[in-house]
Amino acid sequence: MIGLDVGSTAAKIVWIENGDIKYRITSTHNWKELVTGIDGDNIVSTGYFRNIVPHRASLTELTAAIYGARHYFPDAEVIVDIGGQDTKVVDVRNNNFVINDKCSAGTGAFLEFVANYFRIELHELGSMHAMAGRIPDINNTCGVFALSEMISQLVGGYSKEEVIAGMHYAFARRISYMIPEAQSIVLIGGTVKNEGLVTALKDVLKKEVLIPDEPQIINALGVLKYYS
Amino acid sequence: MQNHKFILNIRMPVKKIGITALVPPELIFACDASPFDVNNVIPSSRKYPGNKLCAWTAIWKEMLVKRDINVDSLIVVAGGDCHNALVDGQKAAMSGIPTHFFFYPFDGDSGYMESQLHRLSEFLGGIKCPEKFKEIRELKKQGQIIDKKRCCGKLSSGEVFRILISFSDLAGDLTGFSRIISSLEETDIDLRNRIALIGVPPIYHDFHEVAHSLGLHIVFDELPYEFIRHGGTTIQEMAYDYCGYTFARPLEFRIDFLKKELKKRKVDGVIHYTQFACHHVLEDEIMREKLDYPMLTIQGDLPGNTPQQIKLRLEAFREVLDRL
Repeated sequence: MIGLDVGSTAAKIVWIENGDIKYRITSTHNWKELVTGIDGDNIVSTGYFRNIVPHRASLTELTAAIYGARHYFPDAEVIVDIGGQDTKVVDVRNNNFVINDKCSAGTGAFLEFVANYFRIELHELGSMHAMAGRIPDINNTCGVFALSEMISQLVGGYSKEEVIAGMHYAFARRISYMIPEAQSIVLIGGTVKNEGLVTALKDVLKKEVLIPDEPQIINALGVLKYYS
Repeated sequence: MQNHKFILNIRMPVKKIGITALVPPELIFACDASPFDVNNVIPSSRKYPGNKLCAWTAIWKEMLVKRDINVDSLIVVAGGDCHNALVDGQKAAMSGIPTHFFFYPFDGDSGYMESQLHRLSEFLGGIKCPEKFKEIRELKKQGQIIDKKRCCGKLSSGEVFRILISFSDLAGDLTGFSRIISSLEETDIDLRNRIALIGVPPIYHDFHEVAHSLGLHIVFDELPYEFIRHGGTTIQEMAYDYCGYTFARPLEFRIDFLKKELKKRKVDGVIHYTQFACHHVLEDEIMREKLDYPMLTIQGDLPGNTPQQIKLRLEAFREVLDRL
């Protein structure tokens, strides 16, 4: 059996081989290549398109996140899944969850928007953050207005790297309002691969931040574990 | 002589009275008028108002002003329920619709309630058909019965919701409404996850069916239940009863009532529906603190089908209940 997570920007597949977790990741529009030759009866799915792709059973990303995160952190209290189009916070202790899906600020889409503006690859945001000497204040919580503010900071004399770092802090503050009090939080989702964002989140949240080795496959792993 | 007889037999057309929230329909019918709840057309209206906070009030305001809804006069429930209605009701009044503002007592003072009902009766031209009080009391008993049947899985959640919500104006036609109630057919529904839906009703016309398809069976609709549990056959009786309208009273009063209903109906979880830019949104944290049930809070804005984002939340909530 395989776990398939087809989200808004990426598709991931997870299977267990001799006790080891194996996976493949591709962009959403290429999801079919992940399941070529696999019968739908052997697929359990999650993600935004969970009910559209072939599957034997499906599970929402919110429940899949719990089962996936617990594989690495059995005592996970709060899970923050920063996805391409939304951010989900699951409070495992209280069976509660909140989702930000009304605006792009605080989601991977906003980071893509910023990377496009600077004409850099998404994965470069993290390394550029690391080169920042100062961190300008970017207060706007709206993605579009935040970009205007970033341009103002550039004109005002901050470097591109510093403005990107400021943007990561604005992003982290935006997400922090959704996160309940807890000793530690588990970060998952493709966006968490951005080290600059993680640095900002650690700084803003002032909590222990736990990140699995491959944060992007946690929901695919979760649905697999749920049905195994 | 023949002409004179003809004139005597002419009956003035019944006036159509728009209402913006719960206004005792008994009194409107008894004053020989027909209530029309302006909210009931909104979920399937597909209207997107230009200047809005809450879509409910903004849409009925716009429809009234543009005369997409035609009423002879309007009763705006201003005190003790929807605060946006107070402003949007005045905008409708400024467009030339004769409008009366109706206030519930926050402290439950039945004397004040009685004075409000007398003022309303005067606005409507006085009681002319007192027999309507008893007729509506019998219909509300029917409402209580179908509410109980739904709770036992004998009637579908969506069908019962649509009837209960219509008790605000009894579809403006007591005979026709009675026929609708009688036409309900019993069935057997597996009540795995018994859900109380609290807050204002969802603005999505298919919400109950969607919830049911995702394994959540709504056995309590908070606001529509208010429409069937209040009544009276005189102004005094109504005053005493309607001042217990929970949405107009302090939160503690409403929560005490909710606790009893939720326990009685053995609910497994609560869905708190909130409307964008509605003051009831602010109540969510108190509901979560005071009601000891798994709770999902959702927020709607514009009317139409239940959106995918809301469906995801409902499905995830069902999974939460399955895990407990």
